Amino acid sequence: MFSVYRSLLYLYPSAHRREYGEEMTTVFLDAEADTRQKGILRTGRFWMREVQGLLSGALQEHVRSLLGSSSARVIFPRRPIMRSEFRFPKATATLMTIILAAVVMAIEKATAIVNSVPHGGPHVGPIQPAHFTLFPTLLLILTFGCVAGAVGWAIAFALHRSGVQRLADFSPSERQPAGR
Amino acid sequence: MESLPVTEPVLLILLSLAEQPRHGYAILRDVREMSEGRVVLSTGTLYGALRRLLDEGWIERVSEEDGSRGRQAYRLTARGSRNLQQEVHRLKQLTRVASLRVARKEI
Repeated sequence: MFSVYRSLLYLYPSAHRREYGEEMTTVFLDAEADTRQKGILRTGRFWMREVQGLLSGALQEHVRSLLGSSSARVIFPRRPIMRSEFRFPKATATLMTIILAAVVMAIEKATAIVNSVPHGGPHVGPIQPAHFTLFPTLLLILTFGCVAGAVGWAIAFALHRSGVQRLADFSPSERQPAGR
Repeated sequence: MESLPVTEPVLLILLSLAEQPRHGYAILRDVREMSEGRVVLSTGTLYGALRRLLDEGWIERVSEEDGSRGRQAYRLTARGSRNLQQEVHRLKQLTRVASLRVARKEI
């Protein structure tokens, strides 16, 4: 895991890496050691946050080194953001990864069982199509998971932007005309 | 307020350094505690903000006796302290107006 972090640091401009690379690595190791004691879910979130932070940070530093700090501010204005309580549950991504890993393990196990059974018995017909292989199936599952996740997120985001969640607090009795 | 925009993470970093000089990891922990776990900075975000604050002269490095680059501490400069006070004053004014407006609507 640490080697992945070190590799991602190479996405930064070399000047930034020379200036802050060692510090960032030390802070990362401290933070990772602290997070690891809090369970696998926290560690997964920590990793997602770190990867996202490194990718966006490296991009901003490259823009800054190419265009100057004032131009970088135009592209990444960093205005104060009024965030609502709605957040996409990041735990969902972790859960989907665990489910995917379980599916992959099940497929591997099934393949091993099929290979271990002697083929001397009566032929009852193909259980699986001839073109079945592990990689396309995994790709299909991953694609389906990503598409389903994106559609679900888009629906949730659209509902949130429409303000439909406020209807839960709506009471018709409080909306009577002022004259009554 | 001078040129650097103060986002919530930047404000929390400045508040963390207002108390005492801190290393990078101490800043991460302090920001998380101050925001009650709502703002958790990654190392990429933290060092992006620290680099900008250093460039603008709001913070400076504290020279360490052991000379370790991995445990570099930072502190507010006079300029950073002045800008932080202005930002706190602005926020106080904003919350005062907000409280008055909300109270007026509830009456």
